[in-house]
Formats: sequence, structure tokens, C-alpha cells
Amino acid sequence: MVRTGQRLLHSLLLLAGVSLFSFVLLSVAPGNFFDELRLNPQISPQTVASLEQQYGVNRSFPVRYAHWLGSIANGSLGYSLLYRCDVGSLILPRARNTLVLTTAATLFAWILALLWGILEALHRGKWLDRLGGACTSLLLAIPDLLLGLILLALAARVTRLPAFGDGLGGAFGSPPAANAGLVSHLFLPVLALTLSVLPVLVRHVRSAMIAALDAPFVQAAHAHGIPAWRVLLRHALPAALNSLLSLLGFSIGGLLSMSLLTEVILGWPGLGPLVLEAMFARDTYVVMAAVMLSAVFLIFGNLVADLFLYWNDPRIRVVSA
Amino acid sequence: MVTAFQDISLDLFPGKVLALTGASGSGKSSLARCILCLEQPEGGQILYQGRDLLALSRAARLPLLRDFAIVFQDSAAALNPAFSVEDILAEPFLIQQRGISAAERRRKSRDALAQVELSPQILPNSPLELSGGQRQRVAIARALLLHPKILILDEALCALDLSTQGQIANLLLELKERNGLSYIYITHDLAMASELADDIIELSAGRVVRSGPAATFTANLQAGPQPLPARSAASDTVPGPEIPWTSNRW
Repeated sequence: MVRTGQRLLHSLLLLAGVSLFSFVLLSVAPGNFFDELRLNPQISPQTVASLEQQYGVNRSFPVRYAHWLGSIANGSLGYSLLYRCDVGSLILPRARNTLVLTTAATLFAWILALLWGILEALHRGKWLDRLGGACTSLLLAIPDLLLGLILLALAARVTRLPAFGDGLGGAFGSPPAANAGLVSHLFLPVLALTLSVLPVLVRHVRSAMIAALDAPFVQAAHAHGIPAWRVLLRHALPAALNSLLSLLGFSIGGLLSMSLLTEVILGWPGLGPLVLEAMFARDTYVVMAAVMLSAVFLIFGNLVADLFLYWNDPRIRVVSA
Repeated sequence: MVTAFQDISLDLFPGKVLALTGASGSGKSSLARCILCLEQPEGGQILYQGRDLLALSRAARLPLLRDFAIVFQDSAAALNPAFSVEDILAEPFLIQQRGISAAERRRKSRDALAQVELSPQILPNSPLELSGGQRQRVAIARALLLHPKILILDEALCALDLSTQGQIANLLLELKERNGLSYIYITHDLAMASELADDIIELSAGRVVRSGPAATFTANLQAGPQPLPARSAASDTVPGPEIPWTSNRW
């Protein structure tokens, strides 16, 4: 209980540190949202100065940071100068879209990686292992950008799959399961994302399983006549899970940030395109909200991984006790 | 392809201890792994009671392999840390005596612990919560659960301190007398081998370089190198041909 409290306090301090550091970085970056207006001869310098005054971009750093913390407290997460609305109402539906995409891709990638990696480990050094290794090497060698473009070209020329949008027509409130279009719109981005994270996961699963299968207690189980399926499921797999759970924590932590490029290339209306636009326009509070949400997920993912590890690894429980 | 073993034949009689000695890498542990079919040589034969274990199907091989059990060197690593002592002892029953009730399993687990002079209070504990000596006793208890005829002790005493080594060695001798067991005792400790074993075989690079009764073995050594032929009068085993061997573990 004390440890959990310490971890939560540590997480809050980490979030505070991330927010301060990000705010400092965005503040010291040259220019602001209104710089582009200055280039427009139809807008007078007085008007730009008045707008800067109105939106407080020239106020001191502590004032702006305190104001932003206040907006966190009331849930608005600041104000978007680009979209002229609260960041909260802007970013949350986009974050939901990103989560739909990344959760599906992460789930598929983990299921495939576990099956693939275990199969490779069980056939270590044989043709199946070598074929699997060649496939993962190929996938690793293809940059995400190229993979997205290949899938986009395939969608345009070969299949009738939609290559843009979420299939909801912007109706963010509609239940995703009720909309069949969502699945067809999700197919390409999920495939691209799954293929980009799959090879790394497969290699981790393979090496963790090989280490587990070589563990003396697994050899001892074989020697005592325990059937191979039981040795795999009850001895080797739980042992391999220890290292994989940390990786799962990273996967959960990356749910909001892993798909930026894929979303931009394949036109998925998630956080990616929004954050990219906000960065180009120097829409500070949108970027801050995206960074903070990603940080929350990263910390949450690590916490979940720690809890799973505590549950799965008796060595940790013994040390804790 | 590596020729791992050549012309090895072990004669082991009921209630006797055969020690396998040799330098690291001489093939002692690999030989034990081959006997238990934990390694699959690409050629050759592993003959036990006149039957080639490698030529048999897994189903046909299992009843023969039940005559064997093994205790590894590092008991901390050889016992699954995710299991309690009770789970470790119960697992062989779950597999090999499926009809047995939970109460009966518990009773047999307690009996097994009593046999190695351990309290049943450690049943819910993880192996990580036990001392090295206790862990090795649990490993021995597990090995004896299904009443094997031959117990392979793969450097089973090496990781223990001297006092615990003595205790476990005495326990093993008692268990041998009580249960009519035979041991294949793998060690590089010639002094301990001559204490425990009836016969000693020394391996080098997968070949038998010396063999003989323990009492005369050390005397032979002091007299200088005199390569002795491998035993040929096999009762349980007959010499096999050269075993060409490849393994991805090596």
C-alpha cells in the first residue's frame, strides 16, 4: 500500500516535471502563433499587438504556466488559437480516434507476435525460424513512411478500401461498433501500424521464449516427463512473460504517440494530424495537451507493467515481502 | 557436425553408485541429457535394457524413461520460482497418475518431504524462500516421487557449502539403501566421487579414458596415465556406435 502510494506520488511529480519542461521548451522556441499574421499586409501591427495582448502570449512565463494549470483544473486544457475553441473539446475526440486505432493495432500485433515468436523459438535454427527471421528483417528494413505509402497505393489501385477518414463522418459521438464504415476505414491504418510494430515484438518474444526454454527449471520439467504443452504453457511462457510485460508497458505507454506518422499518411483523424498542424502553427496549448496525454499514458503503461510483473514474478513478491 | 560421444557403455547395478568424472566440457552432463532424451543426437543409439530410446516413439519411450530421474546442480534454477513447493511436488502426479485426488497428492507430497527430512510447513513456500540445502532436498524429493530406479545426480552437491554437502551426501546414501536406488553421480570432485561411488568412469572429449572400482581408481591415477578400455560386458546397456552429434545448444 505504501509502495503504491509512493509510486502514485512519484507519477504525479513526474507529470509536473514533464509539464514544466515542455512548457519551458515551447516558450523558448522563437516566435508565436501571431507571427504569420505580421506577414499579412492587410493586418496592421497594432491589430497583431492587440491580439497578442488579448490572448496573453506576451505575458510572463509564470503567469502563462499558472493560467494553463488553471485550465487543466477546469478541464478545458487551454484555448486553441488555431481552432478557436477549448483544447479539451478539440483533443479528446481525436485522442479517442487514436486510441481506437492504436489499441486495435497493438492487440493484433501482440497476438501475432506471441504466436509467431513462440513458433520461432520452438523451431529454433530450423527453416521455419529462418523464414520468420527473414520476414521480420524485411519488415524492420521498410521505413514506416514507405510502408504507409505502399499500403496507400495498394488501397487506391487494388482494393476498394477507403484511404482517408474514420467512416463516422465526423460524428464523434456515434458508437463505433454501430458503424460498419469504421472497420473498413480502420483496416489500412491498423495494418500499417501492426506491421510496423510487429517485427520488434516478434524478436523480443522469440528471444524471451528461447531464454525461458533454456531455463534449468524448464529442462528439469522435461526431464521429469511433463508433457511439452504443459512445459510450454505452465513453465516457459510465464517465465518469458517477465521480460515481455515490461515491453507491454511501453506498448500501453505509446498508445497515444505511436501512430502520428501513420495517421498523417493514411489520413486517420486522430491526434497525429492535429498535433502536426498545431506544431506548425505554434498552437502551444494543443501541443501541451497532446504531450501531457502521452505522458499520462506512458506513466500509466509503466504502472500497469509493474503491477503485472508483481503478479507474475514471485521473485519480486519475495523481495517485497 | 560434432562427434560428441564414442563407444560409451555404462554398467549400473541395483543399489550401486556409478560416478562420471572428467574436466569441464568432457561430456558428463551431455551424456546425462542424452540418456534422458533431453538432447536428440543426429545419429547413434542410446540403448537401455536392450531397446534404443532414440528409435522409440515418445509414447513408447516414456515408460522406460520413468525409470530415470535427475537432480540438477543449481536447485535455485532447477525449481520453477513461480510454483510453490506443493505445486512442484504435485506436478508429476498430475501428469503421471491422473486419477489421484488432491488429498492423496498432498499426503504423498508430505511423505516425500519427510523422506528428505523436511517439514511439511514449507509446502506453501516458494523455492526462493528456502536455503540452498532445503532446495536441493526438495529437488531430490521431487526426483524420487515416481519411484525411479536410477537417479542421475548432475553435480548435485557442487553448489552447496561443505556442511550441507555432507548432509545431502548422507541423505542420498540413506535413500539409496532404503529404496534400492542406483545413482549416476556426475561430478568433477574425484574425492567425493571415491567416497560415494562403487565405480568411477572418467570421460574426456566424449570418450572413456579410465574406469574401474572406486577403491582402485585413485591408486591407478597415482600410478600415472593408463588408458583403460570402456566396459564391454553390458548388462543393461550395450556399446553403441559413434554418435555424430549436432545441437543448436552447442
